[in-house]
Amino acid sequence: MPAGKSKSLYRQYIIEEYILPEEPFYIPVQDEVEIFEAAFEQKIPVLLKGPTGCGKTRFIEYMSWKLGQRVAGKKASKDGARANGTGLPLVTIACHEDLTASDLVGRYLLEGQETKWIDGPLARAVKVGAICYLDEIVEARKDTTVLIHPLTDHRRMLPVEKRGEILEAHDNFLLVMSYNPGYQSTLKDLKHSTRQRFVSMEFDYPPRDIETEVIAHEGGVGRDIAMNLAKLGEKVRHLKEHGLEEGVSTRLLIYAAKLISSGIPARRACQTSVVWALTDDHEVQRSIEEVTSTIFP
Amino acid sequence: MEDEYDSPSLEAELQRFPASVVSEYHKAEREAKRRLRPEDLDAWAREGIAIAQHSFRSWEAATEYFRATPEVAARMAFPQLLSWARWGRSLSADSPVVSSSFFRASPQVLNYIEPESIGRWATYGKGLYKGTWKSSSLASTYFESSPRLLQFLNLNELEELIGFIDTLAEKSYDLANECLANADGVFSKVEPPDRRSFLSLAAVLARSNWRDIKPFFENGSRSLVYLEKSQRSRFLSLAERLAKDGGGNAIGFLLDASAALGEIDQSRHVQMLGMAERLADVCPPAVGEFLRNAPQVLVRVKDQYLELWFEEGVKILRENEDGGLAFFRLESGRGERVLESLTNGVQLDRIKEIMTMYCRALSGRPVELLPTQDLKERGIGWNSSEQPTTEGNNIYLPAFVERYGSKELNFGWFKVIATHQVAHMEFGSFEFQFERPSSLFADQDQRMVIAGASSNGAHDPVTDVQRFFDLFPDRQLAADIFTLVEDGRIDHRVKWEYPGLRKAYEAVQREAVAQRQEPNTLPLRESLMEVLVRLSLEDPDVLTVHAELREHIEAIASLAKAVQRFDATVEDTAEVTVRIYDIVSQTPNMEAIPEESEERTTDEMGQSPDMEALQQLIQELQAGGKGQGDAPPKGRVEEEYNRPQRVEFRGEFKPELVQALENLKQDASKSESDMRQTGISPEDLKQMLQNSAEIEISEVEQGEIDRSMGMFVDNLINEAAKQQAKTQQGTQFAHSSDDDQPLANQEPETFLYDEWDFRAADYKPRWCCVREKRMEEGTQDFFDKTLKSHSFLVAKLKRQFEMLAPEKLRKVKHLPDGDEYDFDLVVESVIQRMAGDTPTDKVYWRRNKIQRDVAVAFLLDMSASTAEAVDEARRQFDTWDFPDDPRDYMAWLRTRREEMSRRTYKRIIDIEKESTILFIKALEAIGDSYGIFGFSGYGRENVEFYVIKDLDEKFGDHIKRRIDKITPMHATRMGPAIRHAITKLDRQEARTKVLFLLSDGRPQDRGYSREGVEKEYAVHDTRMALNEARRKKIVPFCLTVDRSGHDYLKTMCSDMGYEVVTDIHSLPERLPALYRRLTL
Repeated sequence: MPAGKSKSLYRQYIIEEYILPEEPFYIPVQDEVEIFEAAFEQKIPVLLKGPTGCGKTRFIEYMSWKLGQRVAGKKASKDGARANGTGLPLVTIACHEDLTASDLVGRYLLEGQETKWIDGPLARAVKVGAICYLDEIVEARKDTTVLIHPLTDHRRMLPVEKRGEILEAHDNFLLVMSYNPGYQSTLKDLKHSTRQRFVSMEFDYPPRDIETEVIAHEGGVGRDIAMNLAKLGEKVRHLKEHGLEEGVSTRLLIYAAKLISSGIPARRACQTSVVWALTDDHEVQRSIEEVTSTIFP
Repeated sequence: MEDEYDSPSLEAELQRFPASVVSEYHKAEREAKRRLRPEDLDAWAREGIAIAQHSFRSWEAATEYFRATPEVAARMAFPQLLSWARWGRSLSADSPVVSSSFFRASPQVLNYIEPESIGRWATYGKGLYKGTWKSSSLASTYFESSPRLLQFLNLNELEELIGFIDTLAEKSYDLANECLANADGVFSKVEPPDRRSFLSLAAVLARSNWRDIKPFFENGSRSLVYLEKSQRSRFLSLAERLAKDGGGNAIGFLLDASAALGEIDQSRHVQMLGMAERLADVCPPAVGEFLRNAPQVLVRVKDQYLELWFEEGVKILRENEDGGLAFFRLESGRGERVLESLTNGVQLDRIKEIMTMYCRALSGRPVELLPTQDLKERGIGWNSSEQPTTEGNNIYLPAFVERYGSKELNFGWFKVIATHQVAHMEFGSFEFQFERPSSLFADQDQRMVIAGASSNGAHDPVTDVQRFFDLFPDRQLAADIFTLVEDGRIDHRVKWEYPGLRKAYEAVQREAVAQRQEPNTLPLRESLMEVLVRLSLEDPDVLTVHAELREHIEAIASLAKAVQRFDATVEDTAEVTVRIYDIVSQTPNMEAIPEESEERTTDEMGQSPDMEALQQLIQELQAGGKGQGDAPPKGRVEEEYNRPQRVEFRGEFKPELVQALENLKQDASKSESDMRQTGISPEDLKQMLQNSAEIEISEVEQGEIDRSMGMFVDNLINEAAKQQAKTQQGTQFAHSSDDDQPLANQEPETFLYDEWDFRAADYKPRWCCVREKRMEEGTQDFFDKTLKSHSFLVAKLKRQFEMLAPEKLRKVKHLPDGDEYDFDLVVESVIQRMAGDTPTDKVYWRRNKIQRDVAVAFLLDMSASTAEAVDEARRQFDTWDFPDDPRDYMAWLRTRREEMSRRTYKRIIDIEKESTILFIKALEAIGDSYGIFGFSGYGRENVEFYVIKDLDEKFGDHIKRRIDKITPMHATRMGPAIRHAITKLDRQEARTKVLFLLSDGRPQDRGYSREGVEKEYAVHDTRMALNEARRKKIVPFCLTVDRSGHDYLKTMCSDMGYEVVTDIHSLPERLPALYRRLTL
């Protein structure tokens, strides 16, 4: 019965769980934090572009926490309970090609003798005033993407056709999308009508010193190893377009660091989490392994 | 007296002949009278008259006879003289011309042969005369060239030569004549023991392949000098044997094989020829291949393994001649594996891809890895074919390395030397800027100070490095110091930056140290430089140094070590160079005070990190040096200074040239008008090159230098332009039509593509030019006719394909799970439940997810071979009983022939066209986007790509008309056509992309093979192109109507889809069916 499925969907709707309990680790590379804050202030939706695993999601988490602090400070008097929370609610929706309008807005479900309306995650975010993060937006069908248009301009509202209602967005509501211009083929590009409703922020892998810090913190390794991993990352990224479709992500480097901190020898850790993760081409694998063995003793 | 009686009559007889005869007779008579008895004299004179009487012009021979007599008579007795005369007479009976030559040559010939051999000598000439005018000319050439020939040949050899000339004359008198006339020159170069074999080979050639004789005579002797002396005749015999066996091109063999042997150490020639002889027993054509490639093999394989390799080859040869030939040609994978297993060395080619990517990763630039030879050949200032180096863009490594006993170690060496070169790029050796301050000395930089003091800028410096070296009176010394300090900085940085490589790197450094001289064995200045080398290598061992240089060393060490930091820059190197130069140039190169050495390690040297103290020390040393003045102290002689011996693994470092090239490249990117203002003038460049310490021109004349400098300048400018062009493809650059050059893209609608060379395992860059053309329009008849004749099939296909099509829009209801409730169903379900029924749970609807989103490019082979008739004729021939009666049969045959000439038969291309039309029908039914393209072409510059329907084009009548114009054209170069189709497909947004290739045979084109023979080349390139398609997520599929297609398609498509349609008539039906299967 659909009920079982619905239940698992339900869990996603509990938006409050998405308030981050503590400050996420994030090191700003440029002025992205300021820009995001300004966009939030001015209620301009934001589009994050960048390769996989470079820290887009982490950035959003960090911002939701940071903005939450600010909002909480402002409204401390009004809303006592929320003031103690540490962040703005963050509603993450992983987009996929089966994502329908009702998945976002809400749908009727049967309960007992009657039908019951259940809000979708987007509707909830609109009501509660959360950051709604549509991850990998290009994966969603174009007709679904159009749904968010009224939310992204001055109207800031979400029509709920089935109920004949219009939801007005909460002041704190912000729509954020992410997409990776690299690996999706051109056919999965964003429509211009969609894309021109957002301010765009370009993300890339952090420079060596920042990446070193990130790896050291997240992977739990010493600075030396972190530094070498960052160096490896830099070198391997040089191979993009020269044998590799994508450079190695910070995420993979952190995995390598984690393996190392659990006692796996460095070269082996890089082999599993970098070399083999990146490519199946033997020549390219050998090349990266040579780079690895040049960097790691 | 008889005398008196006869004399007048003699006189009278002589008077009948021209005056010259008489006068010569009288001249000779005076001489002869002294030597001959009177009766002999008469006989002699009568002989002359007899000669003269023979024919109309034989008086000329008589003249020569009389003229030669005095000299000849001086060397022989009368009977011999008489016999000589008789030989002449007998010759003059044949031809006075020949006889004249005989007499004329006689005196000189007698210098070389005994009088009694005159007969033999004459016989050979007589033998050459065959009664024709041409043969008489040959015979006289023989006599005339005899004196020269006999200098080198004895009579037996001459006999053989004449035997050969005689044979040759049967083919061509002119050639025989020419050979004979030049023979002396040839034999002067052939050693006596080899002459017999030489002539014997010549004789074989004259019989089998006389056109080879001329090149053989011209070059044969020259080729022998490459061989070890005792082996020359053996080599000739081998060549003879091959020539006899019809082994093709004997001259080619002679030249190539001897040149190849010349590259091999002479002591091995016995072994090599032994092998060659054994090979000749098995398969003569393989001998040439074996010898030609032997030097290459010997580079890679050590002595004892050569035999193993050889035996393996012979084994293969016995099994399969082609395989064996390829083995010895070094063009077989198996041979490659054998070689690989027998050697510990590493070939650049084998590791190129890996190392290229490695270098790209490290440097972050699109560097290429090339053999050093390449750079040397470009003639832009690099002269070594062994030293690893870089010109700033690419990295050049030796083609083969075998320093150690294992592959791993040799590979490790490759890695170290490549890393060192990459590090020069990565850590900015070539980005030196004269005016950028150093990080170490900050405001105490000396460069600007010195530059201010001495402005000797006659020319504008072309590069910053040049400007820097201009500061020093001794550029060479400055360049050496700069190189050592910079290499030290780079090495240190590499070890710091790449801990994983440190061990291997240090091992290589230690090895370099081990090859060096102890500093205390050298005179003072050289000793200082040696210490600098050790410092740059961070030598861990104890050094023995001159005690009197303690302070110098201390200062140099402090300086050299200052740049051995991870954050030192090339400008630091420059500042350190300035200071070390001051110290070294002030140190005279004289013997040290003996017995005063001390032991130090580089570690403990230069322990004064305090810059100020150091500065002071340097100043003191300079002052001390100045105090000493130029004259060395008493009793100590200044010796000639020798540059320190090169550190091998570091190769060549030429920052000045690299910067010049880079600057030129930037110039090349500017527009013409800009160039005039800011560009580097060739004069400045020449000036730079002349002064540069990086160009090594040894002992050539001044004029030569001038010319070679001019050449350098040209080469450098060209090189820069070429590299510039490479970086901005598509913009204009010098077009070169040289056969081995990449092509230039000049016209619109032309596209350049690489081509895969499977032997080189590499792409040939911008190799093929695809010209995209729109197909002309013909009539619509063919299209309509095809639809009519296949109406049943069309209807069927349409139905089949329509069923696939519209599902994407359909809402599917009655689902247990889906996007939405269908409210009608929900209500129904609720009612059912209320009524006590089991309610249905199928209350959802969903849009069908299977979206058909397909783009297909259909590539049609339009090669000439598609003009062939579909073998309908034979089929009918087989199945029908042709008329038994011969008359009927003839009539039947005639009608068939007429039919053929009117071409009512179907050609392969017609079937292809029909299939295309049906295919279009099917595709229109299903709504996929599709393109139809034809390809053909001739040569790599002309790959024609006909657009019948582009992917975005709408189907219409004009497409129908274009199909009509599909006709067989030229050759089949599949690779570029596929690549172009890939480019088109890549721009499509479809989820599924298919590349459908329809051909009638293997890919082939002019130059679409290796050295014109290896068809595999084309197959491999096509395969690579198909692979590229897959990499772009395009599904390639090959369909061929060539029944023998299996053999190459297996290689070409390997794991990709392909099908051989054996019955071509089924093609129209088969094609859509296959397509359906592919895209579902």
